[in-house]
Amino acid sequence: MASADKLINTDVPEKDVFALHFLRSLSNLRTQNPLNSPDKSIDRVRKIKKAAYVSMARAAGGNSRLWSRALLRRAAKDDNKSVRFSRRKRKVTWKISSKRRRSNQRAPVVEEAAERLRNLVPGGGGMETSKLMEETAHYIKCLSMQVKVMQCLVDGLSQK
Amino acid sequence: MNGAIGGDLLLNCTDMSVLERQRAHLKYFNPSFDSPLAGFFADSSMINGGEMDGYLATAGLNLPMIYGETTVEGDPRMSISPETTLGTGNFKKRKFDTETKDRNEKKKKMNREEVTEEEEEKSKITELNNGSPKSIKKMKNKAKKEENNCSNDSSKVTKELEKTDYIHVRARRGQATDSHSIAERVRREKISERMKFLQDLVPGCDKITGKAGMLDEIINYVQSLQRQMVHSGYSHEMVNSGYSNEMVNSGYHHVNPMQQAETSSDPLSCFNNGQAPSMWDSYVQNLYGSLGV
Repeated sequence: MASADKLINTDVPEKDVFALHFLRSLSNLRTQNPLNSPDKSIDRVRKIKKAAYVSMARAAGGNSRLWSRALLRRAAKDDNKSVRFSRRKRKVTWKISSKRRRSNQRAPVVEEAAERLRNLVPGGGGMETSKLMEETAHYIKCLSMQVKVMQCLVDGLSQK
Repeated sequence: MNGAIGGDLLLNCTDMSVLERQRAHLKYFNPSFDSPLAGFFADSSMINGGEMDGYLATAGLNLPMIYGETTVEGDPRMSISPETTLGTGNFKKRKFDTETKDRNEKKKKMNREEVTEEEEEKSKITELNNGSPKSIKKMKNKAKKEENNCSNDSSKVTKELEKTDYIHVRARRGQATDSHSIAERVRREKISERMKFLQDLVPGCDKITGKAGMLDEIINYVQSLQRQMVHSGYSHEMVNSGYSNEMVNSGYHHVNPMQQAETSSDPLSCFNNGQAPSMWDSYVQNLYGSLGV
């Protein structure tokens, strides 16, 4: 489902990449926590959710996308064991709008919606609005792909 | 009618334009597309008839492809070496002169080259392009030769230009020429362009007009996608724990009240009717089996 757009580059890899990453993370989870040990189902679900997000970020482009970097960094911060995150050597510069946000000069209608979007999309805090929307587009594509993959897996596994 | 004159004239005129115009100017010049040409000629008196002919004559050629190829690395060399062997030398030189001027004057910072937005233009370009693929290659080869010719001097310049692509902007007639308002306008157009792109991405957004509604819709969609992820996580957990099918459904019922209502279709439907095509299903089974779980 990779799409080619001339203006903004939002190419997303195929389903297989996502599926592979996700299944790998699931099997890691299985080996780490055998069925008896974890206490509540909610914790297991949380782990699965985190594994899903991390695998999505890795499948979608690792360090090359801002939101995926932010996701991986967040995951690596919480749990030092399972997620490996390497810092970029090259400095990546993009316009930081955090100072400007208080003054809120630019099109307040757009900006308040952009604020809500920043809370949703990982890594949105340091981005300009235009860059934010680019990242949102790619994020939406990856999210929908990941959701499809997960639902397919569930269907496949539950039909056994 | 050479590049030097064009450069001098460019210095005198007002420098600003809006996003589409600058893109149209940079990438492609279509004689049938009126507004950028009109605006361009209106506010800048520098274009004489000869140059106009030069523009119109080159409009039919495959300029966008060349620009896509050589804009970044081609520009500084072209300005350094005024003579070009290209048939469209005039037009390209003007653009390259403006590029160097931009670097010097530091007008605007854009991170990538952009194609013009007009769909009709694109279709016309493709029509014209199909006619003469050879000429494209010729021009590309010539551009590369010139690139090789003066490479030492310009390597630093090239890098500079690659990091910071300044694109020349020009104000429209009758609009404010304040640099801040121009930048503001360009930024707004960028945002609206990406909004259009997002509109195609989010289902059911054709009817909604206006930025606010669109953005709300986008936010809702992202939230719903994230909730779907959580749903699938729950169902995965049920499945992996080895429950049977009925238990999975009941477990889902149990889990469901804890969360907000799904905005999209009924979540239980994913158990009843397979969303996956059958081929994908078996493929997935093989994958899972091969992982040894």
